[in-house]
Amino acid sequence: MSFPLRSILLVLLSSTLAPMLPAQSSGPASQLTFNRDIAPIVFRSCSTCHRPGEAAPFSLLNYSDVKKHARQIADVVRSRTMPPWLPEPQELKFADELRLSDADMNRIVTWVEQGAVEGAPADLPPAPRFVQGWRLGQPDLVLKAEKPLILPPEGTDTYWNFIFRLPIQQTKWVKAVEIRPGDKQYVHHANILVDRAHASRQRETDPGAGFGGMEIRIESQVFDPDSHLLFWKPGTIPYVEPEGMALRLDKGTDLVLNTHLQPSGKPEVIQPSIGLYFTDHPATKLPMLLQLENDLKLDIPPGEKDFLVTDDFTLPVDVDLMAIYPHAHYLGKDIQAQATFPDGTKKTLIHIPQWNLNWQAVYRYAEPVLLPRGTTISLRFSYDNSVENPMNPNHPPLRVKGGNRSTDEMCHLWLQVLPVNFDAANGDPRMVLQEALARHNVEKNPADFEAHYNLGAMLQARGNLDAALAEYQAAVKLRPDDATGNNALGAALVQGGHPAQAVSYLQAALKARADYFDAHYNLGFALAQQDDFAGAVEQFQAALRLQPQDAAVEANLGAALAEMGRYADARAHFQHALLLDPTQPIAKENLEALKEMNPR
Amino acid sequence: MRRAKFCINSMWLGTVLAVLCGLATAQQALDLEGHAVNPFAAASGKPVVLIFLRRDCPVSGRYAPVIQKISNEYANRATFWLVYPDKTDSPQEIRKSVADYGYHLPVLRDPEHALVKLSRVQITPEVAVFDRDRQLIYDGRIDDWYIDLSRARPAPTTHELRDAITAATAARTTLAQKEVRGVGCYISDVE
Ligand code: HEC
Repeated sequence: MSFPLRSILLVLLSSTLAPMLPAQSSGPASQLTFNRDIAPIVFRSCSTCHRPGEAAPFSLLNYSDVKKHARQIADVVRSRTMPPWLPEPQELKFADELRLSDADMNRIVTWVEQGAVEGAPADLPPAPRFVQGWRLGQPDLVLKAEKPLILPPEGTDTYWNFIFRLPIQQTKWVKAVEIRPGDKQYVHHANILVDRAHASRQRETDPGAGFGGMEIRIESQVFDPDSHLLFWKPGTIPYVEPEGMALRLDKGTDLVLNTHLQPSGKPEVIQPSIGLYFTDHPATKLPMLLQLENDLKLDIPPGEKDFLVTDDFTLPVDVDLMAIYPHAHYLGKDIQAQATFPDGTKKTLIHIPQWNLNWQAVYRYAEPVLLPRGTTISLRFSYDNSVENPMNPNHPPLRVKGGNRSTDEMCHLWLQVLPVNFDAANGDPRMVLQEALARHNVEKNPADFEAHYNLGAMLQARGNLDAALAEYQAAVKLRPDDATGNNALGAALVQGGHPAQAVSYLQAALKARADYFDAHYNLGFALAQQDDFAGAVEQFQAALRLQPQDAAVEANLGAALAEMGRYADARAHFQHALLLDPTQPIAKENLEALKEMNPR
Repeated sequence: MRRAKFCINSMWLGTVLAVLCGLATAQQALDLEGHAVNPFAAASGKPVVLIFLRRDCPVSGRYAPVIQKISNEYANRATFWLVYPDKTDSPQEIRKSVADYGYHLPVLRDPEHALVKLSRVQITPEVAVFDRDRQLIYDGRIDDWYIDLSRARPAPTTHELRDAITAATAARTTLAQKEVRGVGCYISDVE
């Protein structure tokens, strides 16, 4: 036994001084107690996350739980690290705001400084009660990720995408989604993207296992803006969409869950599930997501402390603003969005003075915010690429540009808006909005490939084919080797009755991406229109190899074969097409025609 | 034995002795079987590194791979101990946590904070490095990975624990800082 005596003295000393020093030197503050003063705050503002099975690392459900973390609690409430809530208070209120009032914050700090006294049992309010299991009751459909991800114990944060293949046979309307992201302690946030065209499946090397990547984009073929922000962060209570705002899910749709995971120091098994709640009421109100962004302006020199990026977009229609979702990566510093109303008054839509990617979130307004036509929405994001930004991924700092990797930067602001006060006779107001936004992006960055591409797609959808062709041409000029751009231009040319001109673009698309289903399909179509049926058959066959269950390709393949006089082969393909989709019109019609030619 | 007797016989000294009596056991760190262990006795002349952890502290957990790496690397030059200062942690709970994180280091419970006081540590995770003469030459953070509870650097830029072990094993190296507070959970909260 040989501990130095010194340690004994230390123990004696500190045990006589054990109670913490009183809070204020200026006269004794009244004694706060846990049971009377603190429990109501903790039960209301902390216990939702700090309980078993939830995101926080320990429970805060009773005196001894709180006492065991008392000093740390004083620190984190004082610094406003807890409860996690980034925006400054503002006039336009958010729903489910977690920020503590100054009074509650001071009460907690004072209580800890006074020695964290328990108080009289009679003062203790009843313990909070929580719904066990699914928050909204048993979902109508529960989907579990096919294969779990084993999160390694160390390393940087991981971004993983799980694909849920929907087993529904007909269109369903979803009024609520509960995301159970797996072990909540290791999932920082998660959000669902709707993938109507299986675009993500190609990225899985092991089917069912998902794929890595922080920012994923899903191309959609029709104008069908995914209008819902399906987001999970710690403490999220599932959100039931207002009447008439259900989300449409069709047979064959995939849901992609994008998760941000933080290593814990030991291996963790992450296997999310999601619960869907259906409604019989199809959507009657169609909100949409407006994306303001300016990634092309992100070219941040090393050492730059306050790099400002802005974007200002003026609304062409009246909208109700429902929710807002700002997004930047590790250099993001001060994040702001403001509305300037037609009469010149300004209101802050959101202000996050100290951005922290780890606590990013979708913020829903307590009440929809009416933004009349002519309102300008302005984003102002600043970035710190100096050594003084401790989150800087580069040491020493490097030049950073916009991009999808976590070490690239982003400047995005998503707004969920619902067009209001419009005349339906003038067409879908979402299209008006989307076209205005696409035009705005082209004007802002004339060298932006995507801006031209999106504007082209929008014009094409609105039936303005000539204008669409011009935008696609501009896009292809900017990126002559881009598969998507070439395919779109080719398809638009076919649609405009110029199949001969389309061929070289569609071939360019296939050169860039040999397994591009759409380009094979379109090229087959263009060749058939020029009576090159052998060439068409080859393309449709290639398309069919990529998507063997596609009835339309089967029908077209049959038609090309029939044109070549190969009736038996043609019949087989028409029949298969009808097997896949009994309503396939081309197959039906052609099969009838075959019968008439050869009535046997 | 002698201590226990002393304790009983000294009731008349009142509170002071009661405290001393508690101390007799207080200065014992315990292994998971409940036996008193002196981490210095087993060090056979090597520097001793005490690593203070709380089971319920996420930052403590995230440091596990770092702690393993450093303790493996310096295994021949220093003796490492994991120390759990929360007296409400049962040996079973600690054993499970140690296994979950895959540690292969000897473990101590420090229910009365004898080692905490000797080491002057305040936070988990923090470390104390004692040289061959059992002089405390460094106490505090492992490195500067964490800035505060909600923010970590992509990688640390300072390496206090490595520097301290190097100083403790080298003949006469002095450390720039003998004490740098860590980021994590207060040990005093579990007194
Ligand atoms: C929305 C969910 C949520 C709410 C509400 C919440 N916390 Fe937390 N808290 C967390 C999560 C998640 C962590 C873990 C953070 C991490 O691992 O970085 C945490 C961590 C902590 C920590 C430890 C910090 C650390 O990293 O070691 C303390 C202390 C804490 N919370 C106190 C509080 C207090 C006090 C309140 C109420 C005033 C509160 N929390 C409300 C989710 C929440």
